Amino acid sequence: MIKVADLTVKMGGRSILNDINLEIPHGHWTCLVGPNGGGKTTFLKVLLGVREYSGSLQDNGVEVYRNHKRNVAFVPQSPEIPTGMTVAEYVALGRSKVDGWGNETAKSRQFIEEVLIQTQLYGMHQRHVAQLSGGEMQRALIARALAQEPQLILLDEPTSALDLHHQISVLNNIEDLKSRGVTVISTMHDITLAAMYAERIVVMHEGKTLLDGIASDVIHSAELRTAFDNRINVYTLDSGRPVIVASKDESKN
Amino acid sequence: MKKTSAGIGQIWNWKITASCALILLAIGTLAISLGPIHLGFFDILKTLIGAHGLEGQDRTVLLDLRLPRALLAALVGAALATSGAVYQTVFRNPLADPYLLGAASGAGLGATIAITNSGGNIYGWLPIFSFVGATLAVMTSFFISGRFFAEPNTLLLSGIAVGSFATAVQTYLQQRHSNALRPVYNWILGELTVANWSIVSWSSIYILSSILVLVTVSKKLDGLLLSDEESFSLGIDPNRLRMIAVAAATLATATAVSASGLIGFVGIVVPHLVRGVTHRVTNRSLATIALVGASFLVLADLGARTILSPAELPIGVITAFVGAPFFLFVLRTRRVSHQ
Repeated sequence: MIKVADLTVKMGGRSILNDINLEIPHGHWTCLVGPNGGGKTTFLKVLLGVREYSGSLQDNGVEVYRNHKRNVAFVPQSPEIPTGMTVAEYVALGRSKVDGWGNETAKSRQFIEEVLIQTQLYGMHQRHVAQLSGGEMQRALIARALAQEPQLILLDEPTSALDLHHQISVLNNIEDLKSRGVTVISTMHDITLAAMYAERIVVMHEGKTLLDGIASDVIHSAELRTAFDNRINVYTLDSGRPVIVASKDESKN
Repeated sequence: MKKTSAGIGQIWNWKITASCALILLAIGTLAISLGPIHLGFFDILKTLIGAHGLEGQDRTVLLDLRLPRALLAALVGAALATSGAVYQTVFRNPLADPYLLGAASGAGLGATIAITNSGGNIYGWLPIFSFVGATLAVMTSFFISGRFFAEPNTLLLSGIAVGSFATAVQTYLQQRHSNALRPVYNWILGELTVANWSIVSWSSIYILSSILVLVTVSKKLDGLLLSDEESFSLGIDPNRLRMIAVAAATLATATAVSASGLIGFVGIVVPHLVRGVTHRVTNRSLATIALVGASFLVLADLGARTILSPAELPIGVITAFVGAPFFLFVLRTRRVSHQ
């Protein structure tokens, strides 16, 4: 269990996250949703352990700040793309935590190959990461995270730059990780997709959590509408699946 | 999707490093045997292992002139190439060179102060002054940037500012002491003619220990090619690693500059050459880059003292004259292979 108690993050005197209290269970996919500037990305970085905070944030009873003992994979929204590095080398970086830097074993290299196959990158593993398309790069990031064999994976908008086909492909890869017992925490702008894949949704607005709970409950909540200034409509398909769309009319009310 | 029998292969093949070590030995042997006086390979070998080898003038030429000079060239070449590669990684900038943080201008100012105040005995004080100048300039860049660890580019910019300031002071001093123009100019072009065992011994301590530190952390340096959050998630403390890497690279550069003046181009051309030929950007190649840097400068120095023999060419002219076209050739072939 990840326990967040009275967590506040300030930058330049301004509160980015304000007095957050939350419990995130392991083994599930939790999705952070809310408008831009709500503190979702900062919260992910806090969960990773790179941002200072006041209050408490414990992962299985251990404070997370600068804790290198946890094996947490991080998939950023805008990754730094190393010039001249091949896909295979890039994915192999993921083994650093498991094997130690630069000490991949033959078994590890085999594991990397399996990961490349799983993410449909095997045929292009000698290409440079800088030459990949948006969808391929996202898959390379997921592949690196898979190679890391993490206990927890944090993904910042994993589908924002992708077409529909690649969105599903990447989300399926993440779901596969979860089925292996990995805890998944992601931010996502597309709430319909969030409701389709995540079990739990946390609504964040202006540095606070408005609501957290089971996805199907949160989707129909007033808090979600409040976070988006009532500018969303929720429809339910015949299959029972909710679809969230922006509402032009209600924004005028 | 099927796997090929080759698989993804190893990230770095250490046979390349071993081959480069052998090439350095071969080039080093060639360099100490060639010159106005030709020295035989077996005579050199016998002399070096303490057996009955060269005698008289030949022995002096080998032990007091060519050997320390070749060793100094190798040390300086290794230092500049390694530092260049490390700076390029730390600043995620392929154009970064070892003189980036004000080391060159600081050393230049230190050397100018030494030359204008030495009253003739230039070489006694020059290495010390240029070393202090280079180190002070880089430390000032660090001090001014302050938030370096949050934003490496801030350090880069303050390095440029400190460098410009040091160059301005240097130019002012040169204008006031016009008799110092020529020795300063010679020093700026780089020279290994002053090599002796004393310079080799003190510079080897700093350079070899710096390279040892950098090669030790080289595998982790690949993590600095990613964002700080990504490298943290892979088990690195990026700020600490950057500090270690920049400190070691700066010590190596300051030592190289104070021992031999400003020898340009090695820090950029050699790392890119190794990456271009091996098609690998990993910093696991750092030991190889050091060996190729050493070979490159030993070879360049051989050219500097033999092409216009008995006159000498400034070694900086050779490194740029040979290095630039070769570098362009590598860039061109790399681009074609990518297409």
